[in-house]
Amino acid sequence: MTDTLTPSLPEVRPGARAWLAMTAAEAKVVARDTAGLIVPLGMPTLILVMNGISFDTDVVIPGTGGRTALDIFVLPITLAFVVAMVGVVNMPSFLAAYRRTGILRRLGVTPASPVMVLVAQAVVGIVQILLGLVLTLGVAWVAFGAHPPVDGWTAVAVLALTVAAMYGVGMLVAAIAPTPQSAVAIGLVAFFAMAALGGMFGPRDNLPEPLADVGGMLPFGAAVDALGAAWAGDVVPLSAVAGLAVATVVSSALAALWFRWE
Amino acid sequence: MTRGTRPPVPGVPSVETMTAIRARNLRKEFRRRGRTTVALDDVSLHVEVGEIVGLLGRNGAGKSTTVDLISGLRTPDAGTVRVLDHAPRTDRAKVRGVLGVQLQQPRLHDALTVLELVRLHRSFYPTGREPDELIEAMGLTGSRRTRFSDLSGGQMQRTSIAVALVGNPRVVILDELTTGLDPEARRGMLDLVRGLRDDGTTVLLVSHHMDEVEKLCDRAVVLEAGRVVAANTPAGLAADAGLAPDAGLEEAYLTLTGGTR
Repeated sequence: MTDTLTPSLPEVRPGARAWLAMTAAEAKVVARDTAGLIVPLGMPTLILVMNGISFDTDVVIPGTGGRTALDIFVLPITLAFVVAMVGVVNMPSFLAAYRRTGILRRLGVTPASPVMVLVAQAVVGIVQILLGLVLTLGVAWVAFGAHPPVDGWTAVAVLALTVAAMYGVGMLVAAIAPTPQSAVAIGLVAFFAMAALGGMFGPRDNLPEPLADVGGMLPFGAAVDALGAAWAGDVVPLSAVAGLAVATVVSSALAALWFRWE
Repeated sequence: MTRGTRPPVPGVPSVETMTAIRARNLRKEFRRRGRTTVALDDVSLHVEVGEIVGLLGRNGAGKSTTVDLISGLRTPDAGTVRVLDHAPRTDRAKVRGVLGVQLQQPRLHDALTVLELVRLHRSFYPTGREPDELIEAMGLTGSRRTRFSDLSGGQMQRTSIAVALVGNPRVVILDELTTGLDPEARRGMLDLVRGLRDDGTTVLLVSHHMDEVEKLCDRAVVLEAGRVVAANTPAGLAADAGLAPDAGLEEAYLTLTGGTR
């Protein structure tokens, strides 16, 4: 049979209905995973409350437009915590489980590309992050009288860049982790390493200088510095923006290079 | 056997004159820890439109690798594959619309229910079967709201078959269709395949069960150590093995593959 006699089959590509269905399916999967749903929302709130009780939330830091230590230091750490927990720990564990159980492979024999799962997971993760941010800011405002950032749009831009950087690191974790269990382990190690060097357990200035410098360049510390600047109305440090941007580009590129569908 | 022809679907050209699956001189090697294993070596087979063809062979003979190459999950090291005259890898968007594959292990989202899984997969296709009707046909009505992780092995298998069929595919690959099914469910699946045949659907049936291949298949292809050792009608395979025509497929298969009873 020659090609000229062969009727061509129509191309079948997933439409808007398929993308919506996939995103809804991923949302159900995340919502039904109790730990995966609660931890990224509950843990940061707990950290906020613990710090909120410890800090004197009435003391205004001079030159910050009336912002307190809670606004400038605690809130940025808590917000970075929310984004990192979803991006670096949660998402890779789902993707590694999908690879391990062959779900990505199963989708490979349908018109739906496995890429759809990645996108749907990312979208659901962003919704989860938004919920976490709203919850954190709500508790901070209601319980501790927190203030909004002096430069709100800068804070939004920094959060968006932080999401990109943490997702990049999360995709890298998903790419190198051979099993779902190892994805959780690697994700947690990466999370706590970045958080410890980024100031979550105490001021970064208390760290040896080289470690403090490294911590400031890693996504968690860079996000904390940049968000703190946005809250205080300061110019966001270039090193923090560069740290987030480099983490996004490098980790995404390595993840794309090493990611395996099965 | 009653052979059906599919009613024309608007926008979809007739495929009655095409070969449904054609594999030519396939070779596939796997390299692990410095060792190379030849999974397939010069494998050629064809399945005509409307045929049911069995793919037989012992574990490790190359059946699943053949399925992977036909469904486009892997690329052959040599040789060509065509599904309705289209390459599964390069014409992915065309082939996926007409091909339904049930892979050997049921692999679906654990946290989703049967109904949610079938609806999700239905959303991938512009036309297809009604999820509720398909679930009923699979005998899963009572489990439609049960999560995949809570299903029995047989129910998982039937759900996996349902999502393979929900796009109303013209070519279906069923890998170990009845594994894990009780006799009643197994009989139901065999009736389902007969229904597919009556509807004009082409089926490649990968199986270890000689009786179901004998009952359902027009022809069977026997793989042994990555090579095709025979391809014929079930009765013809007995002749190929040098046995009497009524010797039965199992006897023919064991003779052809050098197995023992």
